[in-house]
Amino acid sequence: MTAHEPKSRFFKANVKAALADANIQHAMRSTGPNFVGKRAKARDAMPEFDALRDRARDVKNHVLANLPLYLERYEAKVRDAGGHVHWCETPDQANRKVLEICRRVNAKKVNKGKTMVSEETGLNDFLSENGITPVETDLGEYIIQLRGETPSHIIAPAVHVTVPEIDKLFRDTHTHLPRDRDLTELSSMLAEARTILRQKYFEAEVGVTGANMLIAETGQSVIVTNEGNGDLSQSLPRVHIVLATLEKIVPTLDDAATVLRVLARSATGQEMSVYTTFSSGPRRAEDPDGPEEYHVILLDNGRSNMVGSEFEEMLRCIRCGACMNHCPVYQAVGGHAYGWVYPGPMGAVLTPSLIGVEEGGQLPNASTFCGRCEEVCPMRIPLPRMMRSWRAKEFEKRLTPTAARYGLGVWAFFAARPGLYRAATRAAMAVLGRLGRAKGGFAALPLAGGWTAHRDFPAPEGGTFMAQWAAKRGGR
Amino acid sequence: MSGREAILQRLRRHGAGDPAAVDAWAAAGPVGPRPRQGALDGPARIEHFIEKAKVADATVSRIAGVEALPAAMAAELRARNLPATLRTGSDPMLRALDWGSLDRSEGVGRVEEPATLSRAEFGLAETGTLALASGPDNPVTLTFLGETHFVALRTEDVKAGFEDFWAAWRERGLTPRTLNMVTGPSRSADIGQTLQLGAHGPVALHIFLID
Repeated sequence: MTAHEPKSRFFKANVKAALADANIQHAMRSTGPNFVGKRAKARDAMPEFDALRDRARDVKNHVLANLPLYLERYEAKVRDAGGHVHWCETPDQANRKVLEICRRVNAKKVNKGKTMVSEETGLNDFLSENGITPVETDLGEYIIQLRGETPSHIIAPAVHVTVPEIDKLFRDTHTHLPRDRDLTELSSMLAEARTILRQKYFEAEVGVTGANMLIAETGQSVIVTNEGNGDLSQSLPRVHIVLATLEKIVPTLDDAATVLRVLARSATGQEMSVYTTFSSGPRRAEDPDGPEEYHVILLDNGRSNMVGSEFEEMLRCIRCGACMNHCPVYQAVGGHAYGWVYPGPMGAVLTPSLIGVEEGGQLPNASTFCGRCEEVCPMRIPLPRMMRSWRAKEFEKRLTPTAARYGLGVWAFFAARPGLYRAATRAAMAVLGRLGRAKGGFAALPLAGGWTAHRDFPAPEGGTFMAQWAAKRGGR
Repeated sequence: MSGREAILQRLRRHGAGDPAAVDAWAAAGPVGPRPRQGALDGPARIEHFIEKAKVADATVSRIAGVEALPAAMAAELRARNLPATLRTGSDPMLRALDWGSLDRSEGVGRVEEPATLSRAEFGLAETGTLALASGPDNPVTLTFLGETHFVALRTEDVKAGFEDFWAAWRERGLTPRTLNMVTGPSRSADIGQTLQLGAHGPVALHIFLID
């Protein structure tokens, strides 16, 4: 099985493995609080932040309501600037188009800026199988490519990798350097990767980047980065290929500004990322640098079926990662447990939408429904509502495990009969209360092993909520 | 049926869109909320630009006129222990200056570039951001391959925020292959989730603000 094949259906096993993995647990402990604090600080520093979120939501809603028109207008602008747009329905079509372009210009090496869409298509494996070497140039992506892994976070792909692991990885990989060199300082590791990748920028014939936005007004693609690798990857090779999906369209430069104002603040807590680059077409006739060809691969991969569905609002997503940074489940298990490209709450909604509820149906169950994801989403996407929709669909399709279905059935029987429900809970609580009175709690309890493995289950005291409520109202 | 037609047809099942609404949207201009930090004027605007650029780890110096640029440049190179060499494009403003003993060469960025100098079209006070237009005057590779990237910017080109920046950008009729918005030197937190400057692009960014 290659790294790109979905493993979401093994979610439970993935989670168990992640919880038992000391490296993942160590790496995740410092991640969450870091991102959460930075975003909160950025939000607090900008009084208009929530108004901008409303506007950003409205921009995307307007785009989605008029998407066919905007795509045609965007395409015309790309052509005017001398670029090409290739419409692809499936990941396979997108990969083949990239390969076709590479073959035509006789490319042996392809440099990549960060693109999650290429993870959707499994572009790296596909190019390798066809004799072309893909080189990830984002530092985090470079690290995980060397490890034969996929990203575990959409903006911090190597967030699960610890410093000692990178130390060993670099010594094992960069074998032209003395094995006993000093890498104690983090800066020495960064400098080493920088030197090695700097050379590689000049060797690739084709550069592939993603796109944070596609602007209908101008036909530009936009990338937002901090490292500068996406820019070197698109400026030095002969050909620049942009991998983007349909919903990346924004109408105007002013709308792009609205998105930019919420994007970096939500992602890393920066007011602006270091590099925001607007690219259109190939180099101009008089230009001394820049690519000679510019191609946009416009991938659908199931999105056109989301338009008009109960999951349409997911297409507003700008991939900031705030939902996973604030998700207690993601923070406990990391991104790989989700088993496909997109982790966290946005992944729990997108995965079943894009590759099917049979593969991804377990992910929406991995939620405490605390609601933080929706609270912090810059595009105000109702993630919990959509996760509930997927749960219902999973149940309807009879994909829920038998024990859970049986349990839900029993619960539903009682829940639909309030009198019986109250009587049953009253009786059960009374029994539990009496049994646990001596110790005040239970170290083990049938059907509650998941709870009691980590902490005691407190013995119920006094009447049930409903009983107390009735007593209070009666006493008034 | 081509992929293009199939995709468009699937989308049109839920409505083909309203051309009048799309035209009206474009004609409406910047109607979104305008942050206060992107609406400053006068000296406050320039101070805010400098403050925000510094927050993003850039350094800034103000010089009295463009003629003072070569001397200021030479002083910066000395202070940073960099050789007295400089790579630029063919920007007329930079070309017209007397660079004295500074070894200035024109062209694209090469694999090792200790110091590059570009001229930015605009600055954004809102976030301390520079806006550079690629082309022969300011090749895009100079922005990313310079170990230290120096940028000259006229104070009069510092705009308050995105709204007046886009208006000025359109008015100047610029249509470069890339518009590069740069906020501080390059960075990465991919190793140990610790922010470090100088990932693939410049390790340092210095702005000469020309009055």
